[in-house]
Amino acid sequence: MNNKEIYKRNNARNFINVSLFFFVIYLCFLYLGIDFERFFSALGRFGSLIANRYYPVEIPYVLEPGYLGSILDSIQMGYLGLVIGVIIASILAYFAASNITPSKRIGYWIGKFFIIFSRSIHETIWTILFVTIVGFGMLAGTMALTMYCIGFFGKLFSEELENVDMKLVETMRSNGANEMQVFAFGVWPQVKTAFTGILIYTWDVCFRASTIIGFFGAGGMGWYLKRNVLQLEYARTSAIIVSIIVLVIFSEALSAYMRDKIYKETQ
Amino acid sequence: MSGYQLTIDDYSKQNSSKILKKLIFYVLLIAVIFLSVYFIIILDTDWHRIGSGASILKQLSYFIGLDVKIMPLLILPAFETFLMACLGTMLGLLLSLPVAWLGAKNVTPLGSLSFGFARMLMTISRSVHEIIWALIFVGAVGLGALPGILALAFRSVGFISKIIAENIEGADKKPIEAIKAAGGSGFDVMYYGIIPQILPTVIGTIIFEWDINIRRSAVMGLVGAGGLGLAFFRQMHMSNYPGVTTVILFIVGLIVIGEILSHYLRKKII
Repeated sequence: MNNKEIYKRNNARNFINVSLFFFVIYLCFLYLGIDFERFFSALGRFGSLIANRYYPVEIPYVLEPGYLGSILDSIQMGYLGLVIGVIIASILAYFAASNITPSKRIGYWIGKFFIIFSRSIHETIWTILFVTIVGFGMLAGTMALTMYCIGFFGKLFSEELENVDMKLVETMRSNGANEMQVFAFGVWPQVKTAFTGILIYTWDVCFRASTIIGFFGAGGMGWYLKRNVLQLEYARTSAIIVSIIVLVIFSEALSAYMRDKIYKETQ
Repeated sequence: MSGYQLTIDDYSKQNSSKILKKLIFYVLLIAVIFLSVYFIIILDTDWHRIGSGASILKQLSYFIGLDVKIMPLLILPAFETFLMACLGTMLGLLLSLPVAWLGAKNVTPLGSLSFGFARMLMTISRSVHEIIWALIFVGAVGLGALPGILALAFRSVGFISKIIAENIEGADKKPIEAIKAAGGSGFDVMYYGIIPQILPTVIGTIIFEWDINIRRSAVMGLVGAGGLGLAFFRQMHMSNYPGVTTVILFIVGLIVIGEILSHYLRKKII
């Protein structure tokens, strides 16, 4: 077989693969009942929706004291959820790190299970569940964000704990240090910077989540969003979305700045 | 004493001011905790409505148990959620290619103008929550799976295109220059010089985003797109609490499957 034939055969195979791929996507579209005409006109519709309904952004609405207060509510919810979540998640991550866990049989699996469980359920679903249990308001939102932080922070921090240098830990153990001493003098100094970095990152993500959970009954900005969406007040809705974007950009910049500073300080 | 030497007094003064700053910072952080506790738990919470611990436990006990009858009805929505995540990620990748092309400093065609535009698109896409995207698209294209796919795609664009752009910027310049020197066009540079270099990282990123998108697509139904979120919404509104638990179990199962699949795929590729 010469080169030309191989080239031809490869080309034919590629063609079959690509057409099969598009055929599968076509089947998916049919299965999901998506109208092709709608799919291809989606961007146009999106553009005209933004231009005709959302466009004159009613900025004065987001400068009213009630809405500004709700921003404060959101920040508080995110902050308190972060603090409680990180305290619980640190303990769980300590158990869920396979190299330093005190009990490999039971504690490891319990820690791992709780972290995966709280991670796999979206924050909005947590909000709905907690709203049915404790009623509307910021308490439900704080609880939902706590669960969210447990999942997010616990996963990142337990991975960080699994990467610590075990030689130091072994040395301390062989010299007769107990678990507390091993953690305080062997593990903690190694993960301190990463802990702070992940903490700040989690705050950023948590704040982003706290802007929306009000949509399902927890307090804060999301509640205003829901009200205006239901009243079809497009100009106000777009103003709220713009305010959320601005706040999120601000928090992102702040968290990037803080992480950078801490990284520089420890270098 | 010469001017460039720090005396011990100076040093301790500097140090103590640093410690004081840190102390003030920590005190502020803790004060904010107490403030939030005061506002959230004391002022904003209606303890009368919540009642005693026993009533909370009673409320919780409604959720215990599984509704076996609705299980067969959940398999199709679970599949729909899965498909929504796949298609959303693919569409997101498709949309993020031009954005990444504009947003990478070394290949952007119009200098800082197109670069800034692409960065703005990335930031907007990342900072708008998927629920808001879904709301906007439900308004634009109607109910069903399509707004969910579009919302996931628009939400993924920010992350995927940012990673691709960073990879393009960090790509090895030697092959690019060699292709240019041999007379290759801009397309040749992209196709033969840059894409082979960035492909493994990009595929890893896409798998990661796909994994997250499964989680996101499970809640799209709450605002009118289909999938398991819609089933959850229905069970919740019918106050069928064991059914809610069942739906949550399905969501967790789907996500665990996705996580295992993505772990396996990433290992195979990298």
